[in-house]
Amino acid sequence: MESRLLKPALAVYLGLFLLFLYGPMIVMAILSFQGPTGGPQFPIVEWSTYWYQHLFGQISGSRVSQLPVGESLIRSLVLAVMTTIVSTVLGVMAAQAFRTRFAGSGPIFYLFVLGMIVPGVLVGLGMALLSNMLGIDRAWWSTSFVLHVVYTFPFAFLVMLAIFNRFDRSVEEASLSLGVSPAETFRRVTFPMIFPGVLSAMLFSFTLSYDEFSRTLFTSGPRLTLPLSIYGTFSVEIYPNVFAFGVLTTVFSFTLLAIYGLLMMRSVARNNQQYKGQET
Amino acid sequence: MDLANQSNGAAIKREDALSPARKRARRDEIQALKLAAPGIVWMTLFMVLPMIMVVYVSFWTQTTFAIEPTLTVDSWVRFLTSPTYLDSIVTTLFIWIVVLAATLVIGYPVALLIGLMIRNVTLQTALLVVCIIPFWTSFLIRVIAWRPTLGTEGAINSILINLGLIETPFTSLLFSELAVIIGMAQIYCVFMVGPITFMLARIDHSIIEAARDLGAGFGKIFWRIILPLSLPGVVVGAVFVSVMVLGEFATAAALSGRKVNMLGNIIVSQVGSLKWAFASVAGVILTIIIAIVITTLLRIVNIRKEM
Repeated sequence: MESRLLKPALAVYLGLFLLFLYGPMIVMAILSFQGPTGGPQFPIVEWSTYWYQHLFGQISGSRVSQLPVGESLIRSLVLAVMTTIVSTVLGVMAAQAFRTRFAGSGPIFYLFVLGMIVPGVLVGLGMALLSNMLGIDRAWWSTSFVLHVVYTFPFAFLVMLAIFNRFDRSVEEASLSLGVSPAETFRRVTFPMIFPGVLSAMLFSFTLSYDEFSRTLFTSGPRLTLPLSIYGTFSVEIYPNVFAFGVLTTVFSFTLLAIYGLLMMRSVARNNQQYKGQET
Repeated sequence: MDLANQSNGAAIKREDALSPARKRARRDEIQALKLAAPGIVWMTLFMVLPMIMVVYVSFWTQTTFAIEPTLTVDSWVRFLTSPTYLDSIVTTLFIWIVVLAATLVIGYPVALLIGLMIRNVTLQTALLVVCIIPFWTSFLIRVIAWRPTLGTEGAINSILINLGLIETPFTSLLFSELAVIIGMAQIYCVFMVGPITFMLARIDHSIIEAARDLGAGFGKIFWRIILPLSLPGVVVGAVFVSVMVLGEFATAAALSGRKVNMLGNIIVSQVGSLKWAFASVAGVILTIIIAIVITTLLRIVNIRKEM
């Protein structure tokens, strides 16, 4: 009887929870269409796309300076791609290593996983101190980059570990016993089978690096990444152009997610087709 | 018995002579180490070394604009005798415990519904995806979105005034400790929902049915069966939330109007004024707090055994 009451109550609660989760974003999206004279609050003076045009530098002589996002966006994308490639390669290699029990694998596992646990502000501080002592200039493509990999590599590693755990070893062994070299076996047999996992690892690395902020703060030097540019606007008064920017980045992220989904579906479909072909 | 002994002896002999199988195992092990080596080197150079550096520099001598590698405990003494900095430790712990409790209280019923009440796998997955989608929005954008929501002329106040529920807007919603707690609870509660849902979804429904057949009410079933079985999920979620909240500074900076200073904020402001040794002391204290919190949480349940 209690559970009959409980279920609708929980459903209502879920609705409130989703409102809590999405509410601020909805408010922000509404306010991004604020008119030129309106501020970052209600009421909406008039509906317009003024702040979107402002973002792209199509408004001249505005009282609000343009968000410095153009170059930092490119930097963040390049950094995310670099991080994705390196952490995925490292992640696949490390997970491949963990398929065999080797001496010291326990502590090494914790060493890897620590990268996603240590607060960004701490490793960022440490890296800044280290580069100061060694006299290395800090830059987004060097000191920030290595820290991004420290953060994303454990995710890639864990994803690949989960994939290898469900992996049928006999196919590989068949290839090896037929005299195919280990490298060729990896390329032709192992890799196609783990490819969906590799895609997931790449998606993780990319989104985490693209949005990473605390690890970049002390290590990026004078040239800022996108999250740092956004953070810079926090200390001054904010205008609806920040909201317009927020909406656009969200749309951009969803586009990436959709591309990932499509690639994933195609990969699964192709695999199915291959197996069908082999059966007949 | 004899047969077993014989085969045992044979195995030992084979090992002594380094049989092909043994040789292969050895070669595999070396191969594995080679594959893991780049990751080990990377993490040692770019994570372990910087962390050691933080501890080391916390004992350096701080002058006005620089640090000198002359070892001293000055920064430690100054940090631990200053009420401002001791306050930041208290603030960090306070925000952490409140946000942790909030994420648990907010997240548990959601996990209960998704993980246990809904048996349709498609609906389960869809609801989980809906919970995760906000993560593809930039963390800082999600933080800043609370400003027009909580502000004096923000959404919540406008709605309440239009409904005639209040006459004058709440002014203490934004730029207060409350704003920081609300913001963090929203951003981190999904890390609590996920692991708990995972554990709840693994509960065998026949156990609950058996308890019900034996006459247990929902309260008893919850306290005696559901909660204990979901505890590993709670602990994993608590570890996630704790680690992230304790190292936070951006939410506090953006939503408190610099009224709330956590240890992370101290580190950022000290680095900003080139007080590296001081920032390092705050860093070491933060590390110690996080280490204590994680080991305490992991002592509650043996996660490796439960997973």
